[in-house]
Amino acid sequence: MSIISDIVESTKAIIKGMSVTFSKIPKEKWTVQYPDEPVTVQPRYRGQHLLHVDENGKEKCVACFLCAAACPSDCIYIVAADDPRPYEERIGVDNRYAAVYNIDYGRCIFCGFCVEACPKDAITHGYNFELSVYNRADLLKTKDDLLITKQKQSPNYRVAWADEDVDSEYKVV
Amino acid sequence: MAELVKVTINGEVYEVEKGRLLIDVCREKGHAVPSFCYYADLALQASCRMCLVRIEKMPKLQTSCTVTVTDGMVVTTESEEIEKARRGMLEFLLANHPLDCPVCDRGGECELQELTFDWGNLEERFIEPKNYQPERYLSPMVANDPQRCILCKRCTRVCDEWMGEEAIEAGGRGVATIISAYGDWLNCSQCGNCIEVCPTGTLLDATYRHQARPWELVRTVSTCTFCSDGCQLALGARGEEVLRTVARDRYVNGINGEFLCVKGRFASHPFVNHEARLRTPMIRYRKGGKLVPATWDQAIEFVAQRLSAIKEEHGPQAIGIVGSPRLTNEANYTLLRFARDVIGTEHYTATDAFSLVPFFENMGAPLATHRDIRYAQTILLIGGEPEELQPLTGKQIRQAVRNGGARFILINSVPIRLKKNAAQFVHVRPGTEEAALLALADADSVEFAARKMGVETSEIEQVRRALSEAQGTVVIAFGELSPAAQKIVAQLPYIYADDRRRFLFHPLPLFNNSVGVHDMGLMSGAMTATEMLDAAGKGVRALYVAGSFLQQHLKGREEALSKLDLLVVQELFETATTEYADVVLPAASFAEVDGTFTNNAGQVQRVRQAIPPVHLSKPDWLIVASVAEAMGARFGIELSASAIFRDIAANVPAYQGLRYPLLKDESRPVQVKHEIAQRRDISGEIETLRATIAQADETAAKITETPPVGHELFKLGTLTEKLPQFHYLAAGNPKPENTLASSPLVQLTIDAALRRQRQEMALAGD
Ligand code: SF4
Ligand code: FES
Repeated sequence: MSIISDIVESTKAIIKGMSVTFSKIPKEKWTVQYPDEPVTVQPRYRGQHLLHVDENGKEKCVACFLCAAACPSDCIYIVAADDPRPYEERIGVDNRYAAVYNIDYGRCIFCGFCVEACPKDAITHGYNFELSVYNRADLLKTKDDLLITKQKQSPNYRVAWADEDVDSEYKVV
Repeated sequence: MAELVKVTINGEVYEVEKGRLLIDVCREKGHAVPSFCYYADLALQASCRMCLVRIEKMPKLQTSCTVTVTDGMVVTTESEEIEKARRGMLEFLLANHPLDCPVCDRGGECELQELTFDWGNLEERFIEPKNYQPERYLSPMVANDPQRCILCKRCTRVCDEWMGEEAIEAGGRGVATIISAYGDWLNCSQCGNCIEVCPTGTLLDATYRHQARPWELVRTVSTCTFCSDGCQLALGARGEEVLRTVARDRYVNGINGEFLCVKGRFASHPFVNHEARLRTPMIRYRKGGKLVPATWDQAIEFVAQRLSAIKEEHGPQAIGIVGSPRLTNEANYTLLRFARDVIGTEHYTATDAFSLVPFFENMGAPLATHRDIRYAQTILLIGGEPEELQPLTGKQIRQAVRNGGARFILINSVPIRLKKNAAQFVHVRPGTEEAALLALADADSVEFAARKMGVETSEIEQVRRALSEAQGTVVIAFGELSPAAQKIVAQLPYIYADDRRRFLFHPLPLFNNSVGVHDMGLMSGAMTATEMLDAAGKGVRALYVAGSFLQQHLKGREEALSKLDLLVVQELFETATTEYADVVLPAASFAEVDGTFTNNAGQVQRVRQAIPPVHLSKPDWLIVASVAEAMGARFGIELSASAIFRDIAANVPAYQGLRYPLLKDESRPVQVKHEIAQRRDISGEIETLRATIAQADETAAKITETPPVGHELFKLGTLTEKLPQFHYLAAGNPKPENTLASSPLVQLTIDAALRRQRQEMALAGD
């Protein structure tokens, strides 16, 4: 028809679109300024695994291989060993312990089956999610990376309180 | 055919043989019955009471493992009442059982675990503290956690009935009963069969303690590489490492069921991944120089060139080819083809302790399988010591006597342990066992032989009568015999033949493939191993040896090997033979190759590859084939184990028509068809034997002492010495002060101390 109606139509569309934009500006922001600000994770978040120790610092893992058996992506590798020394001197809580405990994060799908399978509560999911590496081989984490006494925790997250609502979908805005 | 009876199980009517155990019948017909203490072919126990069934007209539930079927029996195996009873029984069994499946090595293949899945209750009602018992060692081989025991007593029955040792027994009373050994330390043959049959984690393999879990291991069924019985075993490998050996399977078994001896069970795998394995081919470029690592191409090239040069210069007969009774049929056959077709020499042999050629040439009856021995009515054993050298044969004889009521006649100069099962023990003077054969073959020699053997003529007459009056199967087993005696023994069936009895032979050679190496034809070469060594540097200028010479061959001929122009050795480890080798080629062990072994029952059984060859090693047949190829010879052998076996089947009459697929089922091994010889004239041999025996000393003292358990079994060899615990056994297996599992590694520390001690002794020139 004419240029006039074109202009009117497009101006209407812009106003409609921008009204959404401007209406959001005064509202609370969802963006987390990671890594300048810590991310809030849920208490049951499944991040990098932690291998636990008991109150005396003995590794809880008894190398029963149930986690490796439960793992659908076959990413856990264990070598069991015998450590018949008395409790005070040995490495684990029992005289059977894992000499090697590797998780390949190139394969792990964070399903949490290993945690469910563990009869000794020796493995849980931690909150560490910063797993990116420059080298594929570094995705293989060993006991030194996984033990709770040795794993470096990232400063970039905080765990939500149990009653805290962190899920954006239901966040009251 | 036994009488048939009608039984009704869960409403279905079956016709079964009278006298069979109800539990077997139920299972065979597809009505599952759980059990712990029941074990086929062992004495009945009825202690676990998991097998309870309802039999009409009988008060209370009955244990189906002790009831034999009778006509008109009406049985229910599934009902609410039975389920309640079984659940109750399992609850009792678990009352004291610790919940430590995660650390128990049996976890994953535990019968108690399996039945708990079926019959266990989710909740435990017992809240009382469990009867705590510390874990401990019962021997360097057997780890024991008494608390896990359900007192099914399979272990004690196996120890008693299979092994005749009664080393492991139940001690204590009531709830405090535990399985233990006299003095809490096992001084037995360490067969470990108690470990194998234990349905719980009470008795465990101490050498494999806490190393892996069963489901992680890839199981490969193979044949044992120690004695000539050829037990079937399963290698458990993880990645490229063999971690353990168990008998074939917990449910389906080869000729040996769950039986293995100390070597088969504990020493079969430690040498496979041992650090002392040869890693690369090595060449000694200068006599007296060092062995220098080389590539395969270099080594093969070197061997081929030198062999061709020697063949050129001195003729093919200057080259000797030596196989080994430890190697597969495929390897030995390839060596034979190499000797005959490529080199063209008559000088081939194998490093066996003795040759069975005279026996097989005159064999007048088939070979006895181990099953035949178990169900034989009469067993005659001449010489030998099966309980130490062929433990499965020993076990079968024992069971034939104990559970089958066989008549066992033992002729030996040593009162071996099997004596206690013998109906008649003819105790002869040392070295006169063959006189007994003479007396059996020739009625006129009875008195002469009896005098030489130092026994009454009546004793011999009794044996003769036993043979000529026997009914059913008669098995004649024999150890090392002279060629003349071998011919006579082979012809005995013709002397005592009658249609009321069937004669079978069971030779007792020493190595896993002694029979196979004979069948392949390597033992029929123009020279024996010792003759070859004697001719070294003279008639024989080069030797190609697969395996190593035995100590008994090298004894007194230590220098022989150094006189050769060329010595090529294919071996796993450095041995006395490789010391002089010009070229050492690393060979793959039995766990890394495919092939077959033929046992003393003439059964060909598969050897299967469990892991890829370690380091740079290669299968023996492949090495030989490459050397042949480098010598420019058209070998006519396709490069795969199965193709070589096809070649064997085409050229060795006894193996005709065999193929690998036919050997697949290890529970029904194939017996090769050794030719049965016609009746031969043995008068010449009788004369020879009489002449040798005439020289025997009539005043020699008899050996009255029974040799101790393990005097042969625990001997350290190239393979067994790779297991540290074996050193401990060889040193007499003394009970350590502390046997608790949580004490510092008892067996290893002591073992290390022992080894140090022995080294010091060696240094001191002892
Ligand atoms: S140790 Fe094992 S085989 Fe022996 S009685 Fe106990 S549970 Fe049975
Ligand atoms: S199997 Fe019958 S009572 Fe144990």
